[in-house]
Amino acid sequence: MTVAPAAPRLIDRGDLLAALDRAAARKVTIISAPAGSGKTSLLRAWAHQPGQPHQLAAVSVQRDQHDAQQFWLALLDAVRHASATAGRAEPQAATPDFNAPAMVDRVLSELADARGGITLVIDDLHELNSPEALSQLTRLLTNLPPNVHAILATRRDLRLRLHQLRLAGELAEIRAADLRFSERETRELLDASGIALSAAGAALLHQRTEGWAAGLRLAAISLAGHPDPERFVAEFSGSDRTVAEYLIAEMLDGQPAGVQDLLLRTSLLDRVNGELADVLTGRPGSEPILLELADANAFVESLDPKRTWFRYHHLFGDLLRLELRRALPAEVPALHRRAAGWFIQHGQVVDAIRHTQAAGDWPDAARLLADHSFSLTLDGQAQTMQALVQAFPPGADHSELALVRAMGDLAQGRLDEAAAHLAVAETYAETTSPGRRRRLQVAIASLKLSLARRRGHLAGVIEQARFLASPVTGPSDEDIALGSDLRAVALMNLGTVEAWSLGLPDAERHLREGAVLAREIGRPYLEVGCLAQLGFAYIFHGAAMPKIQAFATTQRRCREAIALAERYGWGTEPVIAPALMTLAGTMVWLGEFDEGERWLRRTERALQTDTGPDVRLLLHQAAGILHAGRGRRQEALEEFGAAEHLASQLEGSQALASQMTGWLLATQARLGRPGEARACLAALDDERAGSGEIRNARAVICLAEGDPAGALGVLHGVLAGTAPVLGYVTVVEAHLLAGLAYRELGDQRAAYQAAERALALAESDRVVLPFAMTGAQELLEALPRHETAHAALLADILDVLHGASPAAKEQSSLPPAEELSPGELRVLRYLPTNLSRPEIAGELSISVNTVNTHVRSIYAKLQVRDRSSAVQRARELRLLAAGRTR
Amino acid sequence: MRFHLPARHHGVMDPEPALYMIRINGHLGATVLSAFPAMTPRRHGAHTVLTGLLDQSALYAVLADVEALGLDLLEIRKLTRHRESPGSGDRRSP
Repeated sequence: MTVAPAAPRLIDRGDLLAALDRAAARKVTIISAPAGSGKTSLLRAWAHQPGQPHQLAAVSVQRDQHDAQQFWLALLDAVRHASATAGRAEPQAATPDFNAPAMVDRVLSELADARGGITLVIDDLHELNSPEALSQLTRLLTNLPPNVHAILATRRDLRLRLHQLRLAGELAEIRAADLRFSERETRELLDASGIALSAAGAALLHQRTEGWAAGLRLAAISLAGHPDPERFVAEFSGSDRTVAEYLIAEMLDGQPAGVQDLLLRTSLLDRVNGELADVLTGRPGSEPILLELADANAFVESLDPKRTWFRYHHLFGDLLRLELRRALPAEVPALHRRAAGWFIQHGQVVDAIRHTQAAGDWPDAARLLADHSFSLTLDGQAQTMQALVQAFPPGADHSELALVRAMGDLAQGRLDEAAAHLAVAETYAETTSPGRRRRLQVAIASLKLSLARRRGHLAGVIEQARFLASPVTGPSDEDIALGSDLRAVALMNLGTVEAWSLGLPDAERHLREGAVLAREIGRPYLEVGCLAQLGFAYIFHGAAMPKIQAFATTQRRCREAIALAERYGWGTEPVIAPALMTLAGTMVWLGEFDEGERWLRRTERALQTDTGPDVRLLLHQAAGILHAGRGRRQEALEEFGAAEHLASQLEGSQALASQMTGWLLATQARLGRPGEARACLAALDDERAGSGEIRNARAVICLAEGDPAGALGVLHGVLAGTAPVLGYVTVVEAHLLAGLAYRELGDQRAAYQAAERALALAESDRVVLPFAMTGAQELLEALPRHETAHAALLADILDVLHGASPAAKEQSSLPPAEELSPGELRVLRYLPTNLSRPEIAGELSISVNTVNTHVRSIYAKLQVRDRSSAVQRARELRLLAAGRTR
Repeated sequence: MRFHLPARHHGVMDPEPALYMIRINGHLGATVLSAFPAMTPRRHGAHTVLTGLLDQSALYAVLADVEALGLDLLEIRKLTRHRESPGSGDRRSP
């Protein structure tokens, strides 16, 4: 919310403002008081005080907000506006896979970067109906940077675990008793509203309302036009009815019939504009009435600077809604229907579904929800969608909802439930009209692909889903829009599965088509998703053909996808993980181990919330080859073992299976355990055992067993091109293994020739990893320089094998950092850990403020903006030891 | 408005509906009463006493409405079936 200016008739409650000023000097202030106590008015008056030194980042929690992502996006947006960083990037966009911890980090980092003080103001926090969001909010509040304060307003005490702040004296509270109007303030309010009431009358009014803000404001509205204010107060005082009900009835009575009617009929909306009010009243001319009401009192407020949307004060709205149900019960469902119609026309699907549900039109609501489920997910409203599913009456069987439930299951990793719900949805789709059937079938097939990928069960799925590649059409614009969302998702899922099962030309075509469509229809999430998978697909496609610089092209594509993701704030979201991982992998292949490790860490962060075994498997593989490249074979074996374990959880074979098994066996053999490796080898089926990757591993086992001739025999098929290989890198490796075998046999000439062939193949991409993994250092060192046509590559490779990666050389050209003080160095050591700043303070027995000061100064000296880049920069500068990759 | 609920027995939720009595300050008019269709209202001096058979989730829904409507909650009590229990005159048989 942009904080609208205070309504003219709010009085200056100086004492209360001063109390809030004092409270706001603490880290966190909680205003906890019942409905109508004047919390929002106080916040407004405080925000608009002349000379208010703080930048305000204010949000008002939407009514009954279940969606953590919507809450955090609103908060981040407010913080960005307040810290004036909004211009730097596209607004953070919602994503189907929301990462709450990363979002809190982002908000904290925006706050830490802000110049000057910022006060976070969160109003109506009691409406936040998401335990997850509350616990993340606790983390935010307990880690606020020094220049940031927070003020929370809520109707009831919330389960925020703020005892640490309380103990530190950093928590202030303002409660109902503090908000109550004094008798003097009551008189000031009456004076400001131009109401002439005797001192006794004012005292009576104060007594009757007990200083309750909403009561006094309501009374003031009725009194303002009243012919006999004293009589009004006497009657009010003589009544036993509750204050709010009495005064709202009086106030409504005082309004013209048209205004009363408008207020009642629009009370069932969470927010209203003139056009929508016209629809509900069946009359034009609502907008001026709403503007007038907003000007006249604090119970109708405008929500935007242009003053087109309004909302009613919650208590006021609730009472109006009750009165509507009582006075016009028969009209209520029809009003909801009209509202739903307006919202659907204006593309506001969630509101439309809510009103359709409220009208009791459950089948229609279920249909709307199912039809829009993909679009809502893409809009980042997955949690809202599941809350809407929950709102259906239990027991009522709406088969449409099976599709929506399946989406929730998939998002939560409940794969068996997802499959069961998809089966229900499939049966249901058969019974619908042809137009809808087609759409539902596309949706179902698309989800099945995604389920199959998560399970690694790819065989046969693609054939069933082939029809996804053709466009979905429909009679209306809405059909086309829904169809386009569906089709873009379908292309992404289809291309992804194709990439994973090595159907590469199809994968590339479908992903590219998906990316183009996604861009056309303004779905950046899908564009990023397609491009990220495209980078992943391309590494195989390209690796099948040497001499086209496959690695460089792949890296360029991954970087483009990552840059696009970063524009939307998704640089460490699961959607970009395939590109991050592929980039990390190519770095390792090219011998840039430090750089590769950095990207691998970022991939890990991006996968924090992804529970699927498929991508994690690749993560372990990449970590494994990184260790292997650095000669850390034991660590490499652990990673390959973890990857193999994940692979066993997947139902079918996947893209890299033979390569990974090959690495695992070869590493076992190199660690002096050829027996174990042989045992694993015996368990492989013929097809796998005949692949180039496994043949290479078999050769490594022979070499470890002291049987170089056997190794050469096994390698023959790979070198002659008769054994199937994943890419030319397998052939590079085979040449090197052959070289090692010839060396053992004492045939130097043949050994040199084999090494030279490996270099020749590796030249166009400058691939380094096979040379490091095979332990070919001595072989290469012995290679006479005048006998090689690849001296430059050879020198680079030997540099890497001696421990200086090409990336490290580049980094030495970075500007030198200012020297860190001993205190800063001590804090720096903890930055790669998971410890929070207060925890670091605890470890070092210094104050949190000191830690904060050191961290700021570390960032400044290293010229970085956040913790992870500080760690990375410190590693580059050798201030920190290069850490272990998990 | 802060209130404390009576301590539950050993933290076990009673799944059966029970008779509850909720005392609110002031006389509730027809509009506000329409928020509590499951409760029978009775005036008791300057208070309104709402009585009704509620299970736990219905009880919390009523309390949420009391909060949302800004009502002044004075007392909330679970009425037992025992005749000899100390009664305030509000006791009823379910």
